Amino acid sequence: MRSTENDLRQLLNEHAQEKSAGEPPAHLDAIVRRGRRIGRTRRAVAAGATVAVVVTAAGLMNGLLIGSPSADVATLAQSPADSAQVEPGPKLPEKFSVVLGAERFDLPLIHSQRFETMGVARTVTFSPTSFSTGQKVVCDDPQAWVVTAQRLKSGELGGSAGRCESSVSSHHDRLSAPSDWLKRPQSLQVWVFPADAPVRQVAEVVTGCPQTPVSKGCDESAQSQALMRPEVRERLSAEVGERPGRWAVGVYDRPAQTTSGPSGAPSTVVEPPDDSPMPPTP
Amino acid sequence: MDDGFAEYVAHRHSWLCRMAYLLARDWGTAEDLVQTALAKAWLAWRRIEGNPDPYVYRIIVNTHTSWWRRRWRGEVPAETLPETADPRDAAAQVDDRAALWSAIDTLSPRQQAVIVLHYFEERTLTQVANIVGCSLGAVKSQLSRALTRLRVDPDIQTMNLEEVRR
Repeated sequence: MRSTENDLRQLLNEHAQEKSAGEPPAHLDAIVRRGRRIGRTRRAVAAGATVAVVVTAAGLMNGLLIGSPSADVATLAQSPADSAQVEPGPKLPEKFSVVLGAERFDLPLIHSQRFETMGVARTVTFSPTSFSTGQKVVCDDPQAWVVTAQRLKSGELGGSAGRCESSVSSHHDRLSAPSDWLKRPQSLQVWVFPADAPVRQVAEVVTGCPQTPVSKGCDESAQSQALMRPEVRERLSAEVGERPGRWAVGVYDRPAQTTSGPSGAPSTVVEPPDDSPMPPTP
Repeated sequence: MDDGFAEYVAHRHSWLCRMAYLLARDWGTAEDLVQTALAKAWLAWRRIEGNPDPYVYRIIVNTHTSWWRRRWRGEVPAETLPETADPRDAAAQVDDRAALWSAIDTLSPRQQAVIVLHYFEERTLTQVANIVGCSLGAVKSQLSRALTRLRVDPDIQTMNLEEVRR
């Protein structure tokens, strides 16, 4: 038996009406309370990544300063909070190839972090070991949208945006890195949005999705450009919300004082402050 | 609570709950869905320009999709379709409606959203595309697949109307 569109329309209306007798009143206070809670959670999740890195660095520093008795503690602290997973998630390349004119060289991975959710801002903190520092994001879904932002020499924020598969990466050199690049830990902000996130719609509503010299209409190039605007990311994040989705970010730099985990994979680098002696090696 | 948010909630809450009920099929879940959507909308309220409906609908649809992924739907694949009632049987009409209602529940959340927005909310397909965040072509494709699965034939209505005119 086949039905008609009118049957369908009628059926939906009947079900909506029959239940409407018991529909609850709107609880505005509860809605606002929930909104505040969601806002707090989002901020806490964003800040959590930063705190985890700080704790990791502190634990590692303790291990180095105190010596071998604390090695186990330091090793535990090095592990990212979500590292105890059955599947490793997307794999970061071991090297980052840099081409500067005729000069070509590879940078090894010095720091990495993995995440299980997308749709919210994440901050990754690391200690660069030279002015030549690269970053790369890899995702389970290669079509996911990725935006990275970090401070430039001019003090403004720079970065990149695009699909995850299109090698969203960036690289600093002496000309682009801020003057304090080696003096203190640096941070990189990363947003990963689902592949089907309404980037175009949000870009059109918020910025009108202005064309770029290489774009035709509001195509992916123009959408990527729009994603560099904070208000577009903010709105998109509010619409998409936090969703499951694995991705990882890697930081590549010239090797310095590295420590290796049990697998031999370099995980964190501790760069001593300019005015302090090198920590004793265990 | 400024900028008309309270007014919007008072005015639209009931209708949003009905729409959410058609997606969630549970009054408690529907209320939770609407409250979550309105809470998220409240966070971005000052940045919403014009009619907030499409924005709120989109959050409802996305939140429902996200919740849908987390629940076990107990679907059991079968090689053959279950027996259907004799189309000439009058009592079968009631069963048909129940079957149609059940069949809507087997659609993907995106297809459910397209059906509800188009046939209950009376939104055009372009508006539906804007709400669910995909192209018009994708919405047409989702709608066509959903109607095929529901065994709803858009042409039957035309034939019936012609019969009435005769």
